[in-house]
Amino acid sequence: MRPIGFSTGAIAYADFKQALELLRGEVLTCVELSALRFQEAQPLLRGIRELDLTRYSYVSFHAPSSFDPEQEKVLVNQLREHLPPNWPIILHPDTIHDQSLWRHFKSQLAIENMDQRKLGGRTVEELAVVFDQLPEATFCFDIGHARQCDTSMTEAYRMLRAFQRRLVQVHVSEVNSSSQHDPVSYAAQISFREVSGLIPAKIPLIVESRVISTEIGREIRRVFEALPEPAPACASARPQVCQPYV
Amino acid sequence: MAGKVGQDWRYLAAAQERTVKERRKFQSALRDLDGADSSIVVFGSLGRDEFTPGSDVDWTLLVDGIADPAHFDTALEIRRRLKELGHTPPGREGVFGNLAFSHNLIHQIGGEDDSNSNTTRRILLLLESQVIGRRDAHQRTLHNILHRYLYEDRGLWYGSGEFRIPRFLLNDIVRYWRTMAVDFAYKQRTRGNEGFALRNIKLRISRKLIFISGMMACFSCHMDLTSEEKELFYGSKAVQPVVDHLQKTLTLPPLQLIARVLLKYEELWPAASALFSTYDKFIGILADESPLSNGKTRRKHLDELPFEDLEDDEVFREVRELSHRFRDAVHDIFLRSKTDLSRLTIEYGVF
Repeated sequence: MRPIGFSTGAIAYADFKQALELLRGEVLTCVELSALRFQEAQPLLRGIRELDLTRYSYVSFHAPSSFDPEQEKVLVNQLREHLPPNWPIILHPDTIHDQSLWRHFKSQLAIENMDQRKLGGRTVEELAVVFDQLPEATFCFDIGHARQCDTSMTEAYRMLRAFQRRLVQVHVSEVNSSSQHDPVSYAAQISFREVSGLIPAKIPLIVESRVISTEIGREIRRVFEALPEPAPACASARPQVCQPYV
Repeated sequence: MAGKVGQDWRYLAAAQERTVKERRKFQSALRDLDGADSSIVVFGSLGRDEFTPGSDVDWTLLVDGIADPAHFDTALEIRRRLKELGHTPPGREGVFGNLAFSHNLIHQIGGEDDSNSNTTRRILLLLESQVIGRRDAHQRTLHNILHRYLYEDRGLWYGSGEFRIPRFLLNDIVRYWRTMAVDFAYKQRTRGNEGFALRNIKLRISRKLIFISGMMACFSCHMDLTSEEKELFYGSKAVQPVVDHLQKTLTLPPLQLIARVLLKYEELWPAASALFSTYDKFIGILADESPLSNGKTRRKHLDELPFEDLEDDEVFREVRELSHRFRDAVHDIFLRSKTDLSRLTIEYGVF
């Protein structure tokens, strides 16, 4: 079974403690601590030591999705001070003002591909520009963003091939036309299966679908159906063309 | 190609240069009218890098996103700004110069709902479209159209034949070519022979060229991939890399796409030289702004030439002769040569 967990931001908006509490009842081995707004980052980072995360074999931290150059310096310092070095830092490439500040994190820094609202970070070519600046950075593949940008999953395929070596985590959800993270639908499952073979079995899946606590288990099942463990080769997982879509 | 065969196709080079300038002008004039959900797409000579004075501007606002009544207003604004730039509006059939929706292009391939306009928009989107401004909607639509053609082509993934050619796509391209030929006769009737000469010569040369480039793109799914790629892609039923390959191939304007293939066959260079030289002359005639004795350019003369005068008209005889040379070069390359191109054309393009 693939390692899987939730983003705290998907479970309890801006309240990581409540999210961790709600996730307590689920059998999950991974978690992403999310501080999507700048003001959430400091309390979360300072509170890390008090959190009981022993049940998780994989923990990552999602950095804020917007900050100004002054806040960037503060954030980087806080991350250096409080974050364990083995926790990946998930960062949106469009938030970066000064690459040199982030280079220090080397492979701990995981750049995420973006949704269609952004003007960069959505394609292999756009991400390559970022990785040129941050050559040691790793890659957080957001399959929902990739599908929103290209439902044929061609760009998703290209990203997974181009940045396979950098891949450390996958964000899973359905990103709707308003760029909100929704539960994974039947149509999204069909698309995700097409590239599921390119996601190694050991790579943690972090679910970003906004669901109520009673829906957590169901969403996990949907994600596993969408991203089954890879077959030896990359096989198209859509239903056979000669069979009805059932 | 010109360098390899020692030719200088100056009319083609000039048309390419003119097209690039024209597209830049459009980009500037239409700057704020596209978005993540819509792309301004040009077709025809602007899409093929063959723009000449007097060319129509065939465009569409391609929408791939949530429904928004403002898309219609945007299309009207594009029309207004292009008129301001002094451009001839697109042809009378209403295929261009308005909105097009990705849903129809992607979902309605074949069947009753795949109207003549829908097929035309879809195939030309694949074979001769260029984007003015943001590419997002165009790129997504192209990928999804190609995904449908490839994914649903059982023979491509499970066939036992020697070649991997996407027949579903190729058949639609062939269908479109034949539709153009049939519509030529339809327009001849409905327009009372008006514009016959120019349409006739375009059908024989530039429309045929689009068909050939589409066929070449389909053949490239076998010919341009290495054995390892074919084994990886077709063996594992991986649709996306073939979509990616085809999309990149189709990004090339038709002439370049054909030249890229023909460069690999040295024995075909004499015929290739004839093909491109003829095409160059054809573009030269369309681009020629010097007046004939009747005060018209050769393009306008052909456009307005009465049906009854065709046989005795010197300009028409000249272009018809060009079309025959073009046809002979095409036959030499694709039907008479002892290459796999010829073999594939007969096996997949004809039967």
